[in-house]
Amino acid sequence: MEENRFDRRITFSKYDRAVFISHLDLMRTMQRAFKRADLPIWYTQGFNPHAYIMFPLALSLGISSDVEIMDASLTEDITCDDVTKRLNSALPTGLKIIKTALPVNKHTAIKKAEYEIILSAAQRDFNEFISREKIEIKKKTKKSSEKLIDIKPDIELLGINTKDEEISICVRLPAGCGLNINPSVLLEAFSEFTGKVYTAKISRTRILDNNGEEYR
Amino acid sequence: MYKEKIEKILPSVQKPARYIGGEHGSVVKDKNKVSVRFAFCFPDTYDVGMSHLGMKILYGLKNAVEDYWCERVFQPEPDYEQKMREEGILLYGLESLEPIKDFDFIGFTLQYELSYTNVLNMLDLAGVPLHARDRKDLSPIVVGGGPCVCNPEPLADFFDLFILGEGEKVNLELMELYKAMKQKGAGKEEFLLSAAKIEGVYVPGFYDFEYNSDGTVRSCIPNRNGVPKSVKKRVIEDYDKVYYPDNFVVPFTKIVHDRAVVEVLRGCIRGCRFCQAGFIYRPFREKSIDTIKRNTEDLCKSTGYEEVSLSSLSTSDHTQINELLSELVDYTKEEQISLSLPSLRVDNFSEDVLEKISTVRKSGLTFAPEAGTQRLRDVINKNVSEEEIMRSCKIAFEGGYTSVKLYFMLGLPTETMEDIEGMADTAHKIIDLFYSIPKEKRGKGSVSVSISCATFVPKPFTPFEFEPQATRQEIIDKQEHLISCLKTRKIKASWHDYNVSLLEAALARGDRRLGAVIEEAWRRGCKMDSWDEYFKPDVWWRTFDDLDIDPEFYACRKRDYSEVFAWDHLDYMVSKSFFIRENKLAYQAKTTPNCKEKCSGCGIKKECGGVYCGGK
Repeated sequence: MEENRFDRRITFSKYDRAVFISHLDLMRTMQRAFKRADLPIWYTQGFNPHAYIMFPLALSLGISSDVEIMDASLTEDITCDDVTKRLNSALPTGLKIIKTALPVNKHTAIKKAEYEIILSAAQRDFNEFISREKIEIKKKTKKSSEKLIDIKPDIELLGINTKDEEISICVRLPAGCGLNINPSVLLEAFSEFTGKVYTAKISRTRILDNNGEEYR
Repeated sequence: MYKEKIEKILPSVQKPARYIGGEHGSVVKDKNKVSVRFAFCFPDTYDVGMSHLGMKILYGLKNAVEDYWCERVFQPEPDYEQKMREEGILLYGLESLEPIKDFDFIGFTLQYELSYTNVLNMLDLAGVPLHARDRKDLSPIVVGGGPCVCNPEPLADFFDLFILGEGEKVNLELMELYKAMKQKGAGKEEFLLSAAKIEGVYVPGFYDFEYNSDGTVRSCIPNRNGVPKSVKKRVIEDYDKVYYPDNFVVPFTKIVHDRAVVEVLRGCIRGCRFCQAGFIYRPFREKSIDTIKRNTEDLCKSTGYEEVSLSSLSTSDHTQINELLSELVDYTKEEQISLSLPSLRVDNFSEDVLEKISTVRKSGLTFAPEAGTQRLRDVINKNVSEEEIMRSCKIAFEGGYTSVKLYFMLGLPTETMEDIEGMADTAHKIIDLFYSIPKEKRGKGSVSVSISCATFVPKPFTPFEFEPQATRQEIIDKQEHLISCLKTRKIKASWHDYNVSLLEAALARGDRRLGAVIEEAWRRGCKMDSWDEYFKPDVWWRTFDDLDIDPEFYACRKRDYSEVFAWDHLDYMVSKSFFIRENKLAYQAKTTPNCKEKCSGCGIKKECGGVYCGGK
């Protein structure tokens, strides 16, 4: 660890209008929030220095979350509580810091993420879909052709409930720098199965490490 | 309810963060606690409109009044517009996400002629009748402002009123009047009659045009009592004290000019004869160093931007430019903010100034000689000499620059092929200059010069408002001649599509009869005309033809000094007799000194607060 570099792991939520901020735009948005909050960002020491702010697990556009992780390094030893407070006063609506801590795990420790998916569909349809032997999705290969892969073994269904006209599905999917499955892929497969188009509300509820515990 | 509808379709469009608001600095109020709601519309995309300084100023100004709520509205990209129309989503304000048809004011800033179809498109997308006469209720009042309002006649059918000149005071006066009228239950006619008495407010419906048999304007006469014969633009007299925002809306997505912007001066002392901005924004006024510094610090702190740019027509004409720059550089260096100065002029581009900017950031070098020979530069009163360009280039090359961009115009009055050859000569001389500097003293690698040619568009309120635009064939001949004069690949030339320039010229000096053309062209699918990929010149020219209106009548006709123009009833304080005098001097290739050197009696009164308008 270099001198005058103080790492912070920041957990934040992304909701309401802010779910439409793309990954790249979020980077810029946070960088400006640090500047407004007068939190001095540590710059990488390479040929092309850049502010060290990074998101170890990207969140797709349109998905809300209360468990997003952002790593940032500062040039001053500012307390975790102070970082939370100052950033919160500088962020736009829909972005809120929940807590700031010192990082424990490496980024590669991220293995799974859990999602809640709410959509108007019949529970029976979904049960039928999810209990098939294979759930195949099209994946683009590097040679720009498509191949079918079976994601069934990677899906862990944690619960499904019906409320009014909607069903709420809790699911755990592979995440991180190895295999990463976006919940919208699951929805597309479901849509193909029933032949109906769904608009779903998706939120990420947990990010887990290789021991199945909350990523810290 | 509306918000949910919007959120449902956003995931399927490009860069949806542009359509949902919520940016840092955006102002959300309780609609039940405000009495006047204003939709500030920029008739182009978010990326372009969000870069516009005027919107930032007026947005802040209006929202600073507790009782008023101003929201931002842009022309959606075609992918989103199509989805909106399919789902029945009406054009909405980015702050409340509510349809603007229910607002009190719908205001458009008219920055360039090629955005006119977007104005109609946005009104239509908002569910608002296009024609002012079809909007019977008090609200929404459709207003227009910005530079194109100096000849708003082609859009007169669609607007209830136009605001001439600077908006900081008149906007608030207008909203105050509206509030009082709304409270007492007044109708639209009554409101407009009172509004027309506010200085700077022009209600086109209160004026009738008559035309001569040759198609020119005979007269423009008020059709109501108590309406001024001539409407005068508004000028901020105490410019150093005028409102300036201490915060900007900071977009999530990348926009064209994504930085803090500080305005340092208004108006221009130069009087280049082709330049509309140089006359309609007179007189020259500037902000004090303290004000500029305060604005810079406030904005950088509140936005978190790491770049600040100084805005004006000619920043180096600030009377204290050197002190200003050194104080600003001290601040920006300390805060690791980069400072950019987009409007530096060649002729007072000193070594000092160059060094100051280069300590912060190295960008390309651009010059705008506008014309290829000294004779033609004298005609247009662009007081830049080749020696000055060469001197500046030498300093720049020795400072490490290797690329130079030159801006020229084609089709200027009195232009000959010799002037075209002059453009190529200048570029060749710059290349030779680079290689005359010893290798170890100049920048690394090869040098490149790019020549960018715009077709000259004669504009109202300039000494060239009488001039014909060059025809298509003349421009093509000149472009070909320029290409044939270029002897090295180190020089590249590019130009704009002539169709764009011709349409711009026709609309710029058009009259009310063009309203039908704009409307019909829009109905036939023209919009986003300033975007190459959407511009449909064929549809435009067919529409002109079908309506039996000739664009060249407006664009390419030499006009007599005695002709009545469609903008003669609008008073931008610079007199027509001055323009006639300047036009005659142009034909003698005689220059006019700038305001700093000598007052040329353009008509601006001394009480307008101009730095050099002391009435001496």
